[in-house]
Amino acid sequence: MRPEGTIEVEETLRATLRDVLGLSPERVAAFDAATPLFGALPELDSMAVAGLLTELEDRLGILIEDDDIDGETLETFGALTRFATDKALQ
Amino acid sequence: MIDHYDWPGGREAMLRFGPADGPVVVMLLPLFEEANRTRCFAVTLLRLLAARGIGGMLPDLPGQGESEISVEDTSLSFWNDAVSSACEAAGQDRYLATVRSGALLDGEPVAKGCWRFAPQQGDQLLHELGRTARVAAAEGGQPIDLNDIDLPGPPMEIAGNRLPRAMLRDIRLARIGGPAPTRTVRLASDPQPADRHVEGTPLWRRAEPDNDAALAALLATDLADWVQSCEG
Repeated sequence: MRPEGTIEVEETLRATLRDVLGLSPERVAAFDAATPLFGALPELDSMAVAGLLTELEDRLGILIEDDDIDGETLETFGALTRFATDKALQ
Repeated sequence: MIDHYDWPGGREAMLRFGPADGPVVVMLLPLFEEANRTRCFAVTLLRLLAARGIGGMLPDLPGQGESEISVEDTSLSFWNDAVSSACEAAGQDRYLATVRSGALLDGEPVAKGCWRFAPQQGDQLLHELGRTARVAAAEGGQPIDLNDIDLPGPPMEIAGNRLPRAMLRDIRLARIGGPAPTRTVRLASDPQPADRHVEGTPLWRRAEPDNDAALAALLATDLADWVQSCEG
């Protein structure tokens, strides 16, 4: 089932970060909108970003163009959640 | 046990597990980088199958794994030839089991059935290769535009692999499918249709090779039960 609401998208994003970066469920569950991601998580290097975006495409049934992503998209968990929600529910 | 098989282009190594008589599962890893991240998992799965009395083989494809051939001298049709040869070495009651893009190589009628875990279509694989290449270019690597695969030119280097343009064009068109009976299993996080969805980790996404013993055990049971049901 593809996510159909904002909460489902946020939970999908949490699960994807956990699975792609190998983070513990507890750590990911503690993420809030202000939690910094790119530059703050050593696991999230450029190649991991590529894997994360592709896995989000698969799980959310969306297509992400390189131009869609800018410096702010991956800055915080809140920003990435907004981006994923806009894409998935548009 | 380390063994080998001969294919029309030479000889490649393969690992063998369990009994050689009775049904034998020939496992195909994903193509390229994802093979490194799933190999340990595949070995765990094949050992569990062997413990249930089902033989297993994990062949290196030409230009992959420990092969002496360079990947730029290979093609999808070479790989199909190699899969046919590896299957012949497995005896009559052979089954193909594939992980991710390995399913692109199970279309020839060379096995009694094809079991697929998280199969990935050719265009999806090309999409990922393109993204990987763009990330590498952004970090100072050679810029690559996958639109250029239709133009003549040298192989394109993506994640350390020099891939011929003809191979990339073949991958773009490659579709999973064939005449043999199939079973498809996907992770619960994957919304695509499957015969079964199971909880587990997408190990092919991890930066470092990892394993998932619970998932390997679950899939070994699924695969063994399916092979036994096919054998009647």
